[in-house]
Amino acid sequence: MSNPTALTPYPATITKIDVEASDTKTFTVVFDDPEIMENFGNQPGQVCMLSAFGEGESTISITSSPTRGKFLEFCVRRVGRLTSVLHQMEVGQKIGVRGPYGNGFPYETMKGKDLFFVGGGSALAPIRSLIDYALSEQYRSDYGKVEILYGARSMDDILFKSDLAERWPKIHNTGIYTTIDREEEGWKGHVGFVPSYVEEVAPSPENKIAIVAGPPIMIKFTLPVFAKLGFKDDQIITTLEMRMKCCLGKCGRCNIGSKFICVDGPVFSLAQLKQMPQEY
Amino acid sequence: MESRVVNKGQISELLDKLAKDYNLIAPIKEETMTLFRRVSGAQDVLLDYNNSDISPKGCFLPQNEKTFSYMYTGDTLEINKPEGVQKTVLFGARPCDIKAILTFDPVFEGVKFGDEYYSNKRKSTVIIGLSCSKVLSTCFCYAMGGGPCDGTGSDLLLTEIGDKYYVEVNTEKGKALVDAYSQIFSSQGAEQLAKDKEELAKKLSGEFVRKVDLTGVKEVLDGNFELPYWDGDNAKKCIGCGTCTYVCPTCHCFDIFDYPTGDFTGDRLRCWDSCMFPEYTLEAGGHNPRPTRKERIRNRFMHKIKYHLDRYNMVGCVGCGRCVNKCPVNIDITKIINDLKEVAQNV
Ligand SMILES: Cc1cc2nc3c(=O)[nH]c(=O)nc-3n(C[C@H](O)[C@H](O)[C@H](O)COP(=O)(O)OP(=O)(O)OC[C@H]3O[C@@H](n4cnc5c(N)ncnc54)[C@H](O)[C@@H]3O)c2cc1C
Ligand code: SF4
Ligand code: SF4
Ligand code: FES
Repeated sequence: MSNPTALTPYPATITKIDVEASDTKTFTVVFDDPEIMENFGNQPGQVCMLSAFGEGESTISITSSPTRGKFLEFCVRRVGRLTSVLHQMEVGQKIGVRGPYGNGFPYETMKGKDLFFVGGGSALAPIRSLIDYALSEQYRSDYGKVEILYGARSMDDILFKSDLAERWPKIHNTGIYTTIDREEEGWKGHVGFVPSYVEEVAPSPENKIAIVAGPPIMIKFTLPVFAKLGFKDDQIITTLEMRMKCCLGKCGRCNIGSKFICVDGPVFSLAQLKQMPQEY
Repeated sequence: MESRVVNKGQISELLDKLAKDYNLIAPIKEETMTLFRRVSGAQDVLLDYNNSDISPKGCFLPQNEKTFSYMYTGDTLEINKPEGVQKTVLFGARPCDIKAILTFDPVFEGVKFGDEYYSNKRKSTVIIGLSCSKVLSTCFCYAMGGGPCDGTGSDLLLTEIGDKYYVEVNTEKGKALVDAYSQIFSSQGAEQLAKDKEELAKKLSGEFVRKVDLTGVKEVLDGNFELPYWDGDNAKKCIGCGTCTYVCPTCHCFDIFDYPTGDFTGDRLRCWDSCMFPEYTLEAGGHNPRPTRKERIRNRFMHKIKYHLDRYNMVGCVGCGRCVNKCPVNIDITKIINDLKEVAQNV
């Protein structure tokens, strides 16, 4: 839908804040105008531009699935000016939101398949929208087994702890594998880096799509593992993070070759990525 | 296509009238620079200039533009967009710069997302072009599909011939304007001037000193992102000053930020930005996909001769020669194009 007011955010209110880790919070946000909320039409894997007035805008993935209700969740890591301002906000305060932007995950073509998610650090946020979509009551039967392998630096850094420990394991035909980088007191789970854990779990490529998101270094070492396991390039999906300002394909900065990641991405298959210049 | 004639003696009268009836943007001299500004009458307008130092792109994408103002207290938020735009005449734009506006159109009026700030200005502006009467040593518009007397994209194109301007009426918008000032735009002698203009165009087309030929260049770039060529001299010389993008009529990158005007109020601005700055692509975690001048130079020139073409089927350079002229270390897109042609022979 062409939005002529594309650079102007809609006023929205923070209705809930969950502290995920020392530097990460999840904000539940609802548009002040119920009609906008109703027609927002966000798809799993899309992003929004959040405004903290006085600071500007930042690109943040919509971490909630549209199947969960008429609200948006944003999981924000405090890294700089704008994200620090967001972290100081309280329930009831206003922010600006515009979007939804980006292509999102090809969730239609994934139907009938098993999904193997790999998330590293804060990159569980963008894939969580698809996890919850595939695990929703409405669409659960459209997808096969849903497995999630998640790695965080330490116990404190694990995001969406209750999803990983309670909500997702309870759903039919799921598998959750969580790992932290180093031994820690009180941690009974797996210890080690994501790539080697993927190798250990060794998902079979048969009728399966791998969705991989994480810091560049994790992606770099994880993709070869999937190749070794027999996954083809079009069975591997990832989501990119280039710096963005407009999210409309106009401000120029998010390009990789002739593609603008904000409108042509951020989701690409490995097959597509291999057609693009290695400049990300 | 219709045509008209304006006597040179009447041009001041026309400009004064336009300034009265429209927001008139025209070339002026400001200190040592020629640039486009709002003028209040003919006395400010510079008519015999070659190429302006700064292109008139700011008419549609201002260097600093308020997209809205906000009033924010934490619990309350109000967003106010600026008032509608005034009807405007952009007078005296050169053919290359008008063509550059055409390269903006698909960016800002794309199918997926429009840009009301751009479109409103574009819609309410009449573009009166002015053919070049001289070819500069840095010009190469002919190689990018343009020409010194090419009226493409203009509503009216004026060509100076002797003591007259020959006026080509290229659009309905242009027609409406000449009709509104019919006492200035006459039809007398237009036929002869049309022939004179042809002659002038032919004469000028022989005066280009820069030999530039794009054939085959995109084809090399298509299959070869990692050419060793990009490691060469240009990357070593560039000081990342951003002059080239600032003066370039087809560079449209912008940044967005807030400018507080009080404790609770502020403006959201969009401002020209440059892909030649390292911070342009720097991410919060410290990662930079284009960390060195090599990648940034490559991106800028690939954008001009490949990416814009791939995406919008238009070359992203109009051959205005500004970056060639202004780069403090003489990085020259025409040399790059010619070098790449040579590289093409060896890949
Ligand atoms: C497609 C996409 C999805 C994202 N999803 C999330 C998410 O779900 N949660 C989250 O916490 N972060 C996410 N990010 C990263 C987030 O946008 C940046 O961390 C944030 O903009 C930093 O802003 P800052 O002002 O706090 O930092 P500063 O360093 O002060 O940033 C200054 C400016 O740089 C820009 N910027 C800096 N780093 C980035 C970056 N990595 N990506 C894009 N712009 C950047 C911002 O526009 C910001 O205005 C995402 C980025 C992209 C591109
Ligand atoms: S790249 Fe240089 S020559 Fe080409 S349009 Fe831009 S400033 Fe003019
Ligand atoms: S004008 Fe020249 S030195 Fe400055 S950024 Fe452009 S290419 Fe580099
Ligand atoms: S973020 Fe502006 S073009 Fe992609």
